[in-house]
Amino acid sequence: VPPPPVNPDAVFLNIPYDKEFQNLYLAYISGLYQLGLEPFVTSGIPGGERRLDRILSLIQSCRYSIHDLSRVEMSVAPPATPRFNMPLELGLTITWAKMHPRRHTWFLWESTPRRIQKSMSDLDGTDPYIHTGSVEGVLSELRNAFIHRNAPPVRKMVAAFRLLEGNLDAILAGAGTRNLYAASVFKDLCFVALNAARIELGT
Amino acid sequence: MPRSVHISTLIPPPLSMVKRLRIPKARQKQLLAIMDQARQRTATANPRELSDGLRQGKKLLSASAAR
Repeated sequence: VPPPPVNPDAVFLNIPYDKEFQNLYLAYISGLYQLGLEPFVTSGIPGGERRLDRILSLIQSCRYSIHDLSRVEMSVAPPATPRFNMPLELGLTITWAKMHPRRHTWFLWESTPRRIQKSMSDLDGTDPYIHTGSVEGVLSELRNAFIHRNAPPVRKMVAAFRLLEGNLDAILAGAGTRNLYAASVFKDLCFVALNAARIELGT
Repeated sequence: MPRSVHISTLIPPPLSMVKRLRIPKARQKQLLAIMDQARQRTATANPRELSDGLRQGKKLLSASAAR
């Protein structure tokens, strides 16, 4: 099967879908749109044996990917188990990028320095972006990873993020869910983030 | 140093990205109304918190949703 065409503005977001990550999830969506990039996630992909194929296809269609491993840790609920989905998807991405370096570029994100060297020593030599668990950290590191001569200042990026964050409750109520990571909510968040970027950065 | 790439995307993001989201027009209008209500609430309660873009009165309605 031939790989899908590459969307040059698309960024595959390999992130944890948990409550502690919600603000950073919004920051990634908001920040990418402000840099003229489009985020894509796996939340709309159904389970089953074809899920991995579809995830690989999504990775192949995106020019870039961000792998935020800051929450790869033991779960609180028994049995205590680390989550491996994100490292698995990172592995798929690295393989794809090794085979087709002109089609894909991937980035590692972490919350604290040197954690990645402990959790994944095979990646020694690959420096991650460190967001320190903060919205401002995600936004400023996005500007560092994706260098654009017209990139908005972090102050403006935070303002557009606040526009998205301030509408969150109403978006969830309208979607009839409290699950921020639902596929339909992702589309709504993208729509609001995109409009917020157009408002803050000039239309 | 982490790797970085130079990009030349369109800033602000183009309306074609709205179309690619494939959100029904009715839902787009709901979302724009939600954004406008939030802006009005902020403008009434604490105008100093309005961002530069909103203070300048930028239109919330995107062209694709208005069609």
